[in-house]
Amino acid sequence: MKHRSIRVMSAAVAVTALTGGLLAGCATEGDEGGEQVLRVTLANHVWTDIVKDKISEFEAAHEGVKVEVTQLGEDQLSDQYNVKLNAGTDEIDVMMYRPLQEGKLFAQNGYLADLSDYVTENADWDWSDFQDGPVEATTYEGNVVGVPIITEQEVLYYRTDVLEKLGIAVPETLDELEAAAKQIKEQGEIAGFVARTGVSAAVTQWSSFLFSQGGDFANDDYTKATLDTKAAKEAYELYGRLIGQYGPANVSTDMSWPDAAALFAQGQVAFYTDASSLYKNLTEAENSTVSDFVGFAPFPAGPEGSLPYNVPSWALGINNDSNKKDLAFDFVEWLTSPELTLEVQAAGVPAARTSVWENPEGTASFPEQLAEVIAIGSKTGVGYDRPRVISVAEAREIVGAPIVVAITGGDVDAAIEKAQADFQAFLDDEND
Amino acid sequence: MSTTTGRAVRTQSSFSLWANRNRKWVLAAPAMVFVALLIAFPLGWTLYLSFTDAAGSIRAPHDIIGFENYIDVLSDTDRFWPAVGRTAFFTIGAMVVEMVLGMLIALLLWRPFRGQGIVRVIILLPLVATPVAVGMMWRLIFEPTIGFANQFLSWFGIPPQPWLAGEATALPTLMFVDIWQWTPMVVLILLAGLTSLSDEPDEAARVDGANAWQRFWHVTFPLVMPTFITAVLLRGIDALKTFDILYATKGKGGGSFHEVETLNVYAYGLSFDYQKYGESSTVLIIFFLMIIGCIWLLTIRKKRSAS
Amino acid sequence: MTASIAIQAPRRRQKGRGYKAFRAIMLVLVALVFLAPVVWMVLASFKTNVDIYNSEAAFIFTPTTKNYETVFGQADYVQYIWNSFFVAALATLLSLLLAVPAAYAMSRFVMKKSAVLVLLARVIPGVSLLVPWYFVFSNLRIVGTYTPLVLSHMFVSLPLILYIMMSFFDSLPEELEEQAQVDGLTPIGAFLRITLPLSVPGIATASILSFIFSWNNFMFALVLSGASTKTLPVAIFDFVGYASIDWGGLMAAAVVVTIPIMVIALFTQKYIVSGLTAGATKG
Repeated sequence: MKHRSIRVMSAAVAVTALTGGLLAGCATEGDEGGEQVLRVTLANHVWTDIVKDKISEFEAAHEGVKVEVTQLGEDQLSDQYNVKLNAGTDEIDVMMYRPLQEGKLFAQNGYLADLSDYVTENADWDWSDFQDGPVEATTYEGNVVGVPIITEQEVLYYRTDVLEKLGIAVPETLDELEAAAKQIKEQGEIAGFVARTGVSAAVTQWSSFLFSQGGDFANDDYTKATLDTKAAKEAYELYGRLIGQYGPANVSTDMSWPDAAALFAQGQVAFYTDASSLYKNLTEAENSTVSDFVGFAPFPAGPEGSLPYNVPSWALGINNDSNKKDLAFDFVEWLTSPELTLEVQAAGVPAARTSVWENPEGTASFPEQLAEVIAIGSKTGVGYDRPRVISVAEAREIVGAPIVVAITGGDVDAAIEKAQADFQAFLDDEND
Repeated sequence: MSTTTGRAVRTQSSFSLWANRNRKWVLAAPAMVFVALLIAFPLGWTLYLSFTDAAGSIRAPHDIIGFENYIDVLSDTDRFWPAVGRTAFFTIGAMVVEMVLGMLIALLLWRPFRGQGIVRVIILLPLVATPVAVGMMWRLIFEPTIGFANQFLSWFGIPPQPWLAGEATALPTLMFVDIWQWTPMVVLILLAGLTSLSDEPDEAARVDGANAWQRFWHVTFPLVMPTFITAVLLRGIDALKTFDILYATKGKGGGSFHEVETLNVYAYGLSFDYQKYGESSTVLIIFFLMIIGCIWLLTIRKKRSAS
Repeated sequence: MTASIAIQAPRRRQKGRGYKAFRAIMLVLVALVFLAPVVWMVLASFKTNVDIYNSEAAFIFTPTTKNYETVFGQADYVQYIWNSFFVAALATLLSLLLAVPAAYAMSRFVMKKSAVLVLLARVIPGVSLLVPWYFVFSNLRIVGTYTPLVLSHMFVSLPLILYIMMSFFDSLPEELEEQAQVDGLTPIGAFLRITLPLSVPGIATASILSFIFSWNNFMFALVLSGASTKTLPVAIFDFVGYASIDWGGLMAAAVVVTIPIMVIALFTQKYIVSGLTAGATKG
């Protein structure tokens, strides 16, 4: 019966294939008697590249422990966390997360384990060495929920050759910056200023403008929105003018850092404000046509002084559902030890330990000017760059709307009024 | 080949007898059971969530609020209905072009010709190129100041266009990308349908003096209609759910003015950006019902054209 | 009759030549449009990042192989290629086993409603599926194995194969099967020995499309794959860093991802083309 044997055979093939696949996959999961697997999820970052190589040292020091690293891009990591933590999983032990973007949400949902006891255990590791601002961002309702590992500040990148050619001094105030940008734009060869323009992306960079004008997103306990203050209006309008009038023609209103940085790196703009962590996009010959002409300056001062943000962009947390919390913290402790942190910073990643900043070795690899600028920013900076709420993404879109309107030359006053109303409603919603 | 005499009656096993008698369900059931198993839980779960105010975390306590979400979403003229409009515009616009172009190209490829292997492989390229990489590539190409697209236009003296950056031009630009990427799939399906047609009706029409257009419209097209509708169904459903290129080029929220926020992008944002699970489930259920409505309309028409 | 044919013949030959030229031009145009962006991508994979951003260096630039060195040097791309291939192949195969018989039954017995039920699998947006599926699979402790990946890909492929094959079977006359049954084959036997061989072009088309969709699938792989079962679309994001995007590496990785599947497509095309000759002798 040929037809029957065909069917039987195909059924058999299917079953074997499926079982084969199942078995092949099964081998990698689970703790095999004695050996423990520590599951760590990290983001694509220079920091990760540096520490990954060292992980075998940790494994050597802890017998029977294997560290399994899953590495993903920033957005993909966030999506993964969303799905996995929502479903409840013990398959993640240590996670790299963004304290300001999802820290509050995760903490409120109980995803992050309480580390308050762990951090004070080891005096050598020295919890007090970590900078105040970042620590505040990884503390929730009095409990420590994360260890900050990477920081960034807003700095002003500029074209040394352009400024020299036109005889412009490096701007130290926002007014000087505007005048310089205007002058350069009027020369006609390149644009004066660029920065992020996406409704959500721009908020963090705009925050420095807001703070330096003396404004803020809301009052201290986040019950009242303060987007309609004179300072905020100045900040919105200035940012809008700088990009809308003195920026590139036809500028896109969706630019995040890759797009804005590319414009600077292709020699299209003279001034660019963004995070210090991005400097390699501008200073390395394989990324930038102007790599030899990049200057770094502290964020220009507004009426209230120079108040850029100084934030912990990433921190390490432990999954509250993990069944290996002790081992997980050992790993975190090891990753953030003073020695490893010094190594990390020496390779060009601004970290969160005061001692490392004060160590000349720790600032050696940064372009000299940049190291100074970052040091200044670290001292005077504000510890957050976005509304300190739970639903950060939504808040950013509300707060960022007038930015885009200002850039396109629309009715800023109306946009501010709407943003204020929306943000107030949002805060009321979150607070009740 | 038909020799009916002299053959002994085959003895069939009882299983074979049973299987052949009930072959309708023996053949169809495995696929249906598989789908049912995998879809039941998510569908039920989403439906349940749509009646709650779950937000922040699914594991957090939430209340059942009945149809409140549905009322909120259906009366939301700020984000929901514009998203519906954009979805319709994008889907219908891209689909029409893809089906027309797909048919034309399939006709071009129908009869054998020299070098057909190479052309058929080239046609597949947009389809096989990883959507994620393609999206980011188009983002680079369409950058207004330093992208290649405006450079290309400048060779012909055409002024630079905002492309993805313009509020009105973003969605059409993305439709172009979609058409580029998916027309090959339509071509492939239609080609398979065309090659399974016999040559007789076409030959007969040619002998009767019909020209190429008449032959196509009155003979070929009606014969290939079932395949055509299949392509419309499959491509249409995918187009409604388009996500990759929209997200890779405009990011969260479909752009600063939500200019490319379709329903799928909106639902994704509600889930992953705002963590408003109750609301996103509602949008998803409504979206789901809308698609079913469209399919139903289409299959009713298919039935009518068949009768 | 002969007179009219004789008159028609020369006209047809002339029209034939004109049509051939027109057709050739159109084909070249079509090929160019589909090819151009991919060519851009391939060119970009040989450029440094700074050149990629520079639109004036579109065609004139100094090539570098650094990007490909990065792709093969740093990551486990061979493993990822295998993962993608294994999952796509297994998912396609199993989907064929389930969907082709079902398509046959639904075509011959006109099971419209059942067909729509299966189509629903493709209708439901991926966002709805992620959390519930992850919940179920992680409780079954199979996340990170190939199983959830294959299952989720099958979920997407089944409706595709079903509908393509359904319309294919619709166009195959039932007489052939009836004739075979008169010859002594059972109905299912007729399906296997007569109908299936004739459906090879349809099966080839459905398979290649299903394979492509599986190969490019990102959303499910992101959540359901583990470190050792990571597939290529997820691996591509390795080049998207927090403070830097390695465009050159990204394009090189994209090219690497595309090549295996181009080879498979080339191979499968033969079956579609061979169906042409089979179809010509039929009827």
